[in-house]
Amino acid sequence: MTDINPMDLTGKNVMLVGTESETCESLARQLISLGSKLVAVDPDKSKLEELVRVTGSDNFSIYSFNIFDNALIENAISDISNTFGVFDGFVYCAGSGGVKPLSFTNNEFIAGMMNFNLYPFVEIVRCLNKKGRFSEGGSIVALSSISSIKGLKSKTAYSASKAALDASVRCIAAELGSKKIRVNSVMKGWTESDMKRDFISTNMELSEENDVRRQFLGPTSSHELANLIAFLLSDATRTITGTSIVIDGGYTL
Amino acid sequence: MINPVEFKDKQILLTGSAVGIGRAVALLLNQMGANIVMIDIDEPGLEKLSSELKGERHKSYCYDLKNLEGIEGLVSGIVSEKGPFDGFVHCVGIRSRRPLSMLKPSAVADIMGVNFGSFIELVRCTSKSNHFRPGYSIVGVSSVSAHAGSASVTAYAASKGAMESAVRCIAKEMANRKIRINTVIPSQINTPEYVKLRKNSPSEVEQLSERQYLGLGEPIDVANAIIFLLSDMSRFITGSSIAVDGGFLAS
Repeated sequence: MTDINPMDLTGKNVMLVGTESETCESLARQLISLGSKLVAVDPDKSKLEELVRVTGSDNFSIYSFNIFDNALIENAISDISNTFGVFDGFVYCAGSGGVKPLSFTNNEFIAGMMNFNLYPFVEIVRCLNKKGRFSEGGSIVALSSISSIKGLKSKTAYSASKAALDASVRCIAAELGSKKIRVNSVMKGWTESDMKRDFISTNMELSEENDVRRQFLGPTSSHELANLIAFLLSDATRTITGTSIVIDGGYTL
Repeated sequence: MINPVEFKDKQILLTGSAVGIGRAVALLLNQMGANIVMIDIDEPGLEKLSSELKGERHKSYCYDLKNLEGIEGLVSGIVSEKGPFDGFVHCVGIRSRRPLSMLKPSAVADIMGVNFGSFIELVRCTSKSNHFRPGYSIVGVSSVSAHAGSASVTAYAASKGAMESAVRCIAKEMANRKIRINTVIPSQINTPEYVKLRKNSPSEVEQLSERQYLGLGEPIDVANAIIFLLSDMSRFITGSSIAVDGGFLAS
């Protein structure tokens, strides 16, 4: 009997944008152990170097530029493509949360949120979708949130940006279908790192206790999130496109 | 006989009122006795509409909602002249088609600004105290594009997805102020925009109409759903999105 691994990523060249979350470290480890080559991109060079150190792999390259400055993306992606070749996968993990009541949700705050969670994604995909930069059968995954489909107080701008991201995923999937490029997103619920962060920032009290209770399978670990993203990058999902997969321990039920 | 949907002496703010769905909403509200405050960039369209409305208490403002910074002043000016609002309908929406290869960041930001940014800013400014009356109901016009992907409308779809998601958050946040907020989700409606689409890409229209099995919708069909959401008939409905799509999303 031969072992098969439907999630095998051997030889796949994957670009990972945004490395601030804990998910990213798990994702990097998981993708490398599944055989892929990785290029991590982030504004924070020291974070990237740290990531290289902890994963300790030769298949891991880094590239640092300010991904939130839209004017820089076109040249950077061209440079990255020239250096690292054709990509088979792209994961957008960058982005930012942020809570403000409606009365303070002004244009500037909304535009800032879109600039974290939507604009760089569309611009990077636009620039990757050029001759010789992204392979046929390649896969794009954006990290979204169940905030896209569930309302919480003071999260108007964040939720809107994630919903915008998911809607753009569906349209881009339709548009790139002829090149067999797949585009999907992952809607995460409460993760262990969210809880840790909130726990610390609210003086050791769980701020949204009700929400934690609703997620009856408990918080998602970054490892579980990484598995779902790896699944969407692999050829096991050759006919999954334009969707948003919920991973929320039952929150949205 | 009772009429549960009544708007006598109620003041409704309406953006994008000059053509299509907005125009149908204005004409219907007018028949039901509402005072209408209209905002649109299309001055001749506004003048034509105003001349068709019965009553003297309507007012139209020619304003480009791309200018987000000016909205706060515009709203406070309207309220000090005309008093608080009972309802607000956001019909403005640019639906420009652009393949991904041409969709530069500035193009995305422009569409997000007019379709979504102006909506949130109008909601924020009209929900200040004394700017609305209890039972204030807000309706955003979304689109099936927020749910079903089609090529070349990425930014438009994103702006409508953002709208529906924001509405769920605002509904929760504004509930204690007795403000309700919802969206309607139209599909292909017989508006000037649709006529343009039918001319430019007939094959796409044909594909869409296969899923939209009740046929082509008229602006009045969407206006009826909007009026329902504005009225006290829908007192218990908030944070939701109602499809007015001839079966499109369910097929």
